[in-house]
Amino acid sequence: MSAMQLYTIVGAAIFLLALHGLLMTTDSIRRLIAVNLMGAGTFLIMIALAARISPPDPVLHALVVTGLVVAISATALALRLITSAAIAQHSQDSENKGDGDLSEDVKP
Amino acid sequence: MTYALVSLSVPLFCALLLTLAGPKLDSRHAGQIAIVCSALSLVAAWFALMQMAELNQTILLELGGWESGLAIRLRLNPLSSLLLLFTAFMHVLIGVYAAFSRQGVSRDFWPLSSFLHGSLAALWLSADLFNLYITLELLGLTAVAMVALAGKKAYKPAANYLILSLVASLFYLLGVALIYGRYGSLDVVLLSLQTQSDLLTRIALLIMTAGLMLKAALWPLHLWLPAAHANAPTAVSALLSGLVVKGPLFILFLLWSEVAPVDLAQQIGPVLAIAGMIALVAGGLSAMRSPYIKTLVAYSTVAQLGYAMMALGLLLTWQLPQMHVALWLFVIAHGLAKATLFLAAGEMQATLGTKRISGLRGATQTVPVAMFAFAVAGGSLIGLPPSGGFLAKWVLLQPLLSEPQNWPWAFGVLLGTLVSAAYIFRVVAISFDRARINPPDIRPDRVGHWLALLPALMVWGMALTGDWLIQLLAGSSV
Repeated sequence: MSAMQLYTIVGAAIFLLALHGLLMTTDSIRRLIAVNLMGAGTFLIMIALAARISPPDPVLHALVVTGLVVAISATALALRLITSAAIAQHSQDSENKGDGDLSEDVKP
Repeated sequence: MTYALVSLSVPLFCALLLTLAGPKLDSRHAGQIAIVCSALSLVAAWFALMQMAELNQTILLELGGWESGLAIRLRLNPLSSLLLLFTAFMHVLIGVYAAFSRQGVSRDFWPLSSFLHGSLAALWLSADLFNLYITLELLGLTAVAMVALAGKKAYKPAANYLILSLVASLFYLLGVALIYGRYGSLDVVLLSLQTQSDLLTRIALLIMTAGLMLKAALWPLHLWLPAAHANAPTAVSALLSGLVVKGPLFILFLLWSEVAPVDLAQQIGPVLAIAGMIALVAGGLSAMRSPYIKTLVAYSTVAQLGYAMMALGLLLTWQLPQMHVALWLFVIAHGLAKATLFLAAGEMQATLGTKRISGLRGATQTVPVAMFAFAVAGGSLIGLPPSGGFLAKWVLLQPLLSEPQNWPWAFGVLLGTLVSAAYIFRVVAISFDRARINPPDIRPDRVGHWLALLPALMVWGMALTGDWLIQLLAGSSV
């Protein structure tokens, strides 16, 4: 087995494992990490495919770099949304708790 | 080509300008600038379309002057110029609504809507698989940010939407990588000459199709759509349902009608058509049972995309150019009708102070214009003549009815029509219940209601230009 084949198979394995993780978890942060792993698997396959000719194909390298930029910005946006959603959820929960419990006069 | 490039770059620069200006501009001025830019883009798209109607050929532009194979190519044909015009038109209509209705939008809506316009225009013009990936990501990120504009409650649906959208893009990207590894090219036109129906091509095409179907909310990968679309602000829902889901559909169309070899396309065609038929019925039934107005409208998007998917599936199966016309007529008619449905639903929600369909009792009396808009746009979704929806359905039905062995497909279309009529008439029937009127909380916003009616009138006006539209689209079939 050549190195290219090995890396392609490893990339595909990472992609599928991450997909499995994505489908099996409900926690947003874990799902985001799974998505990032799927991205890593894809990029690994792309890098491996670049080595099919000698010298390695620069177009695929350029595509990976572009893909990384997209992945980083999307991850940043997702993190911001997930944390904001968690904060909003948390404050709502504590409000509801305060409403229900009349003996407590301390409201957040 | 120059006009098309103007139509693409004006909203893009407008978006950058509005982003850079940031808080210095108040919402009103930002809105005016964005609407003027959309209108400019509309004029440019109109000239591009006129040019295309006259020449009736495809123009390829090699960016940066590199030779073909290395250059990222842009392509203009009658279809892409028509879609450019449609996108700009929708942005003008919804922009005017957002600026002048009382519901309004926050300042951040304007740069995002301009970005959306720019990325869609880039998508219609791209003829390069990787470039299409970039526009797809731009579209997804902008759409997610726009859903989040609705405030705290929408953060969770927005985050889920983003994760789904990223997964879908990665599937597409993996497919692109495999195609490039196999053929060493990303250009749609070059690939269409090279592709063969071997195992690797099949796998790559299927992976890309799964990703695109997830993005376009095509059945059975549609479950994210109602949550995302129903939670967004009114104007955003209209843009998302009317335009954004059509982007991945366009790529799916390019992929199977051009990149894929004909025998593979003929194999996938029936699968897509059957999925479309199921989408029609399943989406329609979910819409019928939904207790909320906006969720009903969102599920009706799932159902209506079934028509488009059916047209695409039959186009691939029979390689029939007429289906190409039906597909894009559906896309345009649905976009306009859905804009009205969401705007009218949003207006009625705000005026009557209810999210539930049961709260629309007596809406024909309390919010007559908005209810009329809802019913008129619903008429186009059902396919009542002489609306744009009827035009599309007629073009789709003609070849189905002429051959007896195609009657099962025609039955599917008619069943879909019945279900759409059921969920639209359910709302209309409740709104005529004048015995137990749900009184409005606030005085109706007349301007908003009339602006919501505007796209619906356009979709009925589409029938007047039907002949011209059909000829234009028939000329550009592959």
